[in-house]
Amino acid sequence: MTDTTDTTDAARTTGTAGTRVRTVRSRAAAPSPAAARPSARERGTRLLAALFLAPTVVGIVVFTVVPIIGSVVLSLFHWNVIDPPGWAGTANYRAVFTDSTVLVSFRNTLVFMVFAVAAQLLIALALALTLNGRMPTWLRSVFRSAFFFPLVLSAASISVVMKYLFNQDFGVINWLIGVFGIAPVPWLTSEHGAMATVIIVYVWQQFGFSFLLFVGGLNNIPKEIHEAAALDGATGLRKHLAITLPLLSPTLLVASVVGIINALQVFEQPYVLTDGGPGDSTRTVVMVIYEKAFEQLRFGEASAVGVLLFVLIMAVTAVQFRLSRHFVHYQ
Amino acid sequence: MTDSHLSRRALLRYGAYGAGAAALAGTAASWDRLTGSDIPGRDDGSLVVATLGSAFSPDGIRALVTGFRRLHPDIKVRINAVQAVDWPDFFAKILTQIAAGTAPDLVYVATEGVQLFARHLGVALDPWVRRDAAELKEYFADVHPSLVESMMYEGSLYQLPIEFNAADMYVNTHVLERAGADLPADGWTRDDFTALLRRMKKANDSHFTPYFWTNRLWGGVVPWLFANGTNLLSESKAPGGSWLWDGFYPAARRQGRGGGFRWTTPQATSGRVEEAYDYLAALIQEGLCTRPEGGNGQNLIGVFSTGRVGITPAGGFWAGGLHLAGMRDGGFDVRYFPRWRTQRHQFGAAGYALLRTSKKQDAAWEFIKYSARLDTLTELFSTNQTTPARRSMLTAARYRETGPAHWRVFYDTLDSFPDTGPIPAPPQVAEVTQVLLKHTGTALASPRSVRPALRRMQGDLEQAMERDT
Repeated sequence: MTDTTDTTDAARTTGTAGTRVRTVRSRAAAPSPAAARPSARERGTRLLAALFLAPTVVGIVVFTVVPIIGSVVLSLFHWNVIDPPGWAGTANYRAVFTDSTVLVSFRNTLVFMVFAVAAQLLIALALALTLNGRMPTWLRSVFRSAFFFPLVLSAASISVVMKYLFNQDFGVINWLIGVFGIAPVPWLTSEHGAMATVIIVYVWQQFGFSFLLFVGGLNNIPKEIHEAAALDGATGLRKHLAITLPLLSPTLLVASVVGIINALQVFEQPYVLTDGGPGDSTRTVVMVIYEKAFEQLRFGEASAVGVLLFVLIMAVTAVQFRLSRHFVHYQ
Repeated sequence: MTDSHLSRRALLRYGAYGAGAAALAGTAASWDRLTGSDIPGRDDGSLVVATLGSAFSPDGIRALVTGFRRLHPDIKVRINAVQAVDWPDFFAKILTQIAAGTAPDLVYVATEGVQLFARHLGVALDPWVRRDAAELKEYFADVHPSLVESMMYEGSLYQLPIEFNAADMYVNTHVLERAGADLPADGWTRDDFTALLRRMKKANDSHFTPYFWTNRLWGGVVPWLFANGTNLLSESKAPGGSWLWDGFYPAARRQGRGGGFRWTTPQATSGRVEEAYDYLAALIQEGLCTRPEGGNGQNLIGVFSTGRVGITPAGGFWAGGLHLAGMRDGGFDVRYFPRWRTQRHQFGAAGYALLRTSKKQDAAWEFIKYSARLDTLTELFSTNQTTPARRSMLTAARYRETGPAHWRVFYDTLDSFPDTGPIPAPPQVAEVTQVLLKHTGTALASPRSVRPALRRMQGDLEQAMERDT
C-alpha cells in the first residue's frame, strides 16, 4: 500500500511515467551502502565492458568529438592556411548570415532533403511491400541485389556517368525520349530541372538502404497478426495501414533519421552533376563549406557554416525523435 | 560480507586477460606496417615537386627525374603527381597539403594561380635570374615575352613559363565538308563564324551541335570578351620589370611590357560584356551552340571526333588528345579565334612556382632551370599534350603525325596578335571564377536574363575583389 501511495504522489509531482518508476524504486528499495558496492564479479564485468568499448569511444572522441570542437573553435578565427589564424569573434557568423550564397544553399539543402527523403522512403517502402508478397525466392533475391547494388557504388563515379546520360545535347536519355517525339529536356541546365535530376540520381542510389531496412522490418512482423486481421476481415490496404505501417514505424523512424542526416550532407551528386548550378540552384551547404575552405581559403567561415549545419542536423533529428513518440509503436 | 580480495579464480582470469592484452599489444607493436614515413621520398630530404597528374606522362616524369639526377646527383627529387580535374581542383589539393604540413618545394602552377601563389606563398625568382642571366639568355630568346609577362607579379618574376595554350578554334574538317564550306581564313569575323555555324547546322541532323564550349575561365565566355575588346575585370600593368626586359629582350619586343598584369575593377555590366553575352545567348537560342552547363570537357573529344560537333575552342594540347582518340591529322584543323572588335586571344601558361616554405630554395631553382631546358621540354612534351613555351619546339616534324595542318597557329597566336593576353586571374581567382561560372549559367538561360544576371555578377565580383584572400 505504501508503494501505491508513493506512486500517486510521485505522479502528481512529476507527471511522467519514467520518473514515477524511478521514484517508486528509490523509495521502495533504497540500497544499503554495502549492497551499492559492486561485487568483484560485477567489477570484472564492468572492466571487461569498458575494455571492449574503449576503442570505439577513443575513435569517437578522436574522429568526431575533437573535430567538432575544432570546428567550433576555428569558426571563431580567420584562417587561410597560409598565415597564422587571427581572432575573429563572431565575424565569421555575421559574414555567413549575410552571404546570399550560404542562405540559398541552406534553402536548397532543405528542399533537397524534403523531396529526396520522401521519394526515397516511398519508393523503398513500396518495393519492400511488393517483394514481401508472393514471389519465387530467386526472383526476390535478384530484385534485392539490384536495388542494393547502386548503394555500394561510388557516388562520384555514378554522378560522372549520370552527367553523360542526362546531357541535354548528347545524352542517352534525351535521345531515348526523342525516339518518342519528345523534345530534349534540360535535365541539368535549367534551375528546376537540375534540382530534380540531382534528386533522381541521389534517390536512385540511396533508396536501397531504406529498402533493406524495410525488408528486415517486414520480416519481423509476426504472421499471426496478419492472419488474425484477415480473420477479422481486414484486406489489402486496410491491413497495411492498420497493422504493417504501425508495426514498421520503428524501422520507418530509423530510415527517416538516417535518410535526413545523409540528405542534409549531400555533396558528391550536385558537385559532379551541376557544380551547384545553374546559378546557385543546386548549391548545397556542404558544397559551400568545401568552396569556402578549399577554394576561397576562408576556413573560419567554412567552419561557421559547418557548425550551423551541425546545429540544423541536431535540431531536425531532435524534432524527429520528439515527434516519433506520437507515431512510433513498439510491439 | 563483502569480499574485498580477489578470489584465486578471478586472479587467474585477470592474469589471463592481462597476458592476452600484452601479447596483442606486443604483436601490434612488432608488426611490419606502413606509416607516413614509409611513403617514398617523404622526409628523406628530397626536393618535392608537385605537378598536375595529367600534365606529364609517366615516361616524361621518369625522364625529368633521371635527367635532373644525372646533372645534380646531390639533389634527391620526388615528383608528387597530384590527380585533379582542373587547375582550381589542383590548387585546392596543394593547399590541403600545405595545411597538413606537407608542403611541396615546387608547385606546377598555371596562369589561374600565378598571382595567388605569388602573393601568399611564392618566392620571386629575380635574384637567381639575375645571377644566372648568361645561362638564361638562350631560354628567354626562345620564349615569347607575353608568356613571361604573364608570370610576373608586381614587378617580379615568379615562374619560368614552360607551356601555354591559347584559345584557338578547332574545326572538324569532315563536318566542314558536309556543310560544303571552306576552312575559315585567318581574319574571319564573328559574322563569318555565325554563318558557318548555320551552314553546319543545316547540313546535319538534330543531334548535331555546331559550336561546343565549356563554362570555365579558359575557353569559355572570356575569349569572346577579349574578341569584343573588353575583359571581366579592368586590366592594367604593374610598374617595374625593366630589370628583366632590358636584360633579355631587344627594344622592339620589350615595348609596352611591365611588371605583370593587374586585374582590379569588375566591369560585368559594361556594354561590351553585355554584348558578348547577348551574342552567346542568341547562339544558344538558335541551337547553334551548347548551353554553358551542357558543355563539359570530359566528353568533348568524344563528340568532336565522332562528328557531332563542328567547332570548339582549344589549344595545342588538343592535337595530342584527338590523335589518341583515333582522329587522323586530316580530320581536324585549327584556326584563330574569329575577329569581332579585335582579334585579341586569351591564353594560359604554366611553370614551376617556388614556395617560401621550402628549405631547399637553391636546389629548387636548379630544378626550375633544368625543367625549362630545350632538351628537357622536348622529352617531356613528346606527345603533343600541350604547346611548349619554346618557339623552337614548334616544328613541322612535331605535328607530322598528329596534325593539325595549320599547327603554326599555336605560336603565331602570340606573334600575330601581340595584344593576346592571359586569363584574368587576380589573387582572388577562386571566387572570381566561381562568380563567373555561376552567373554565366544564369545569364544564358534566355536572352532576357542576361542583364539581371550580369548585374548580380557585378555585385558579387565587387564583393570578391574587396576581400583580401
